[in-house]
Amino acid sequence: MSRLFPSIRHIYSVSSRVVWRGSPYISPLLQPLPTGLTCVFAAGKKELIDLPVLNEDELEEQFVRGSGPGGQATNKTSNCVVLKHIPTGIVVKCHQTRSVEINRKRARDIMREKLDVAYKGELSEVLVKKKESMLRKQEKKKKAHENLERKRLFKEAQVADSKPGNDTV
Amino acid sequence: MWTRSVSAGYRCSGCRSVGPKGIWSSHAVRACTAPALPAGRITALQAMDLWRRHFEERGVKEPDHSSHYIVAHLLGAKTIESLEQGKLTEFLSREKTEQMWKLCTRRLSRMPVQYVIEEWDFRDLTLKMRPPVFIPRPETEELVEFVLTDLEMRCGTGVGADTQHTSLEVGCGSGAISLSLLKSLPQLRAIALDQSQDAVDLTRENASRLGLQDRLQIHHIDVMKDAGIVLSLCSPVSALVSNPPYLFSEDMASLEPEIFRFEDHSALDGGEDGLKVINQILTLAPRILSDLGRVYLEVDPRHPPLIQRWVEANVEELHYVETRHDITGRPRFCILQKREVKQGPKLDLD
Repeated sequence: MSRLFPSIRHIYSVSSRVVWRGSPYISPLLQPLPTGLTCVFAAGKKELIDLPVLNEDELEEQFVRGSGPGGQATNKTSNCVVLKHIPTGIVVKCHQTRSVEINRKRARDIMREKLDVAYKGELSEVLVKKKESMLRKQEKKKKAHENLERKRLFKEAQVADSKPGNDTV
Repeated sequence: MWTRSVSAGYRCSGCRSVGPKGIWSSHAVRACTAPALPAGRITALQAMDLWRRHFEERGVKEPDHSSHYIVAHLLGAKTIESLEQGKLTEFLSREKTEQMWKLCTRRLSRMPVQYVIEEWDFRDLTLKMRPPVFIPRPETEELVEFVLTDLEMRCGTGVGADTQHTSLEVGCGSGAISLSLLKSLPQLRAIALDQSQDAVDLTRENASRLGLQDRLQIHHIDVMKDAGIVLSLCSPVSALVSNPPYLFSEDMASLEPEIFRFEDHSALDGGEDGLKVINQILTLAPRILSDLGRVYLEVDPRHPPLIQRWVEANVEELHYVETRHDITGRPRFCILQKREVKQGPKLDLD
């Protein structure tokens, strides 16, 4: 678990202010769906998966905004969120958007998926869905390839039929 | 692949003649010289790397974030991560290359990225940005969360969704707080004030772009000078919100150039103890708020205990509810509530 920390600190410069904050307040607006359900996008389709619910007491959040007083006295654009799940040591980093609040929410969504994989291993719904999606893609490719082959053979047959000397009576 | 000539570099127009310490140093002069436009074609990734290195060399803070956000904006996205695969390795058109150089040169003068690309996000909103109107800070996103949680509770109970709730914001800047509240609460009406005409104009513009102008009143008012007008504006409001200027005057001089040179000082300077505008807001609050209405303030980390003491001594009608911390763990938000006016017979005790 602790071996993850040296690598995290390595990412950020020495002047950064690193604060681990436990049990942050999360507005109801940005909470993931209740009762363990969440939406995972698989192959372009929304599918409800039963992911583990996060316990905020088990999480620690890190915000790297540089050293200094923060607030009005700082105007930095870095808004990366690093979320650590203490019991498992799993760490999620998110800087997908330009909003810290949204990055915090997304970090939690990603954490839930990672915890699902960690807890359930191969049986993890996330992995199962991924596998299914991959298989579906492979099937599609195979079918498309077969179709092309069939068309090609058909065309060749047509060309052969239209050649002189092939007329059948 | 491209020629680099110092003599061919051009000066950025954004450079002011006075640095934070009032000295036009030779370093500052050198800092404004941009690399020459490449002779041949370059990819977005190459342009990004080139400028990141240049920002580093010139001491521009956040060199990688700066080049990332500018390139993403150039290519029509908000972040590099959200760009289509392969877009970064495509060659930039001549026009895009020149635009890249123009934007990055502005950043060389320490203009904040948000002013360079003329926009920024606040929660789920994208807002137009324009100097010298104050750029919303990430901490303030949390202030909005507190207000929303309380208002949602109030909107959903008692008299139900028909109860008209109004919020009043002092010092609206770009409109971030009020517009966020309006976006998340379709039933809310909001009033926004600012002593800066630039801020009033920008808030109006952002409101229109987001289609929220019908539920927002914006007034050009200085709460320090025109308190009477503020009180005559509105019937009691449920929430009084503000991210007022709260820096200590003596701290202004040590601000980063991004802030000192480009943002409105009157949006930052809260006087000797940083409490000038805060105290005025708290004094007016009981006459602006409905019973049990709340004040939500963003403040300097040193302020909460000072504010609590001051309110107890000077504003009897306000009850100090709590101090909340921001995402970096600093005490940042003060929540106060107007005491309920108790009805009933007065006891005459001798």
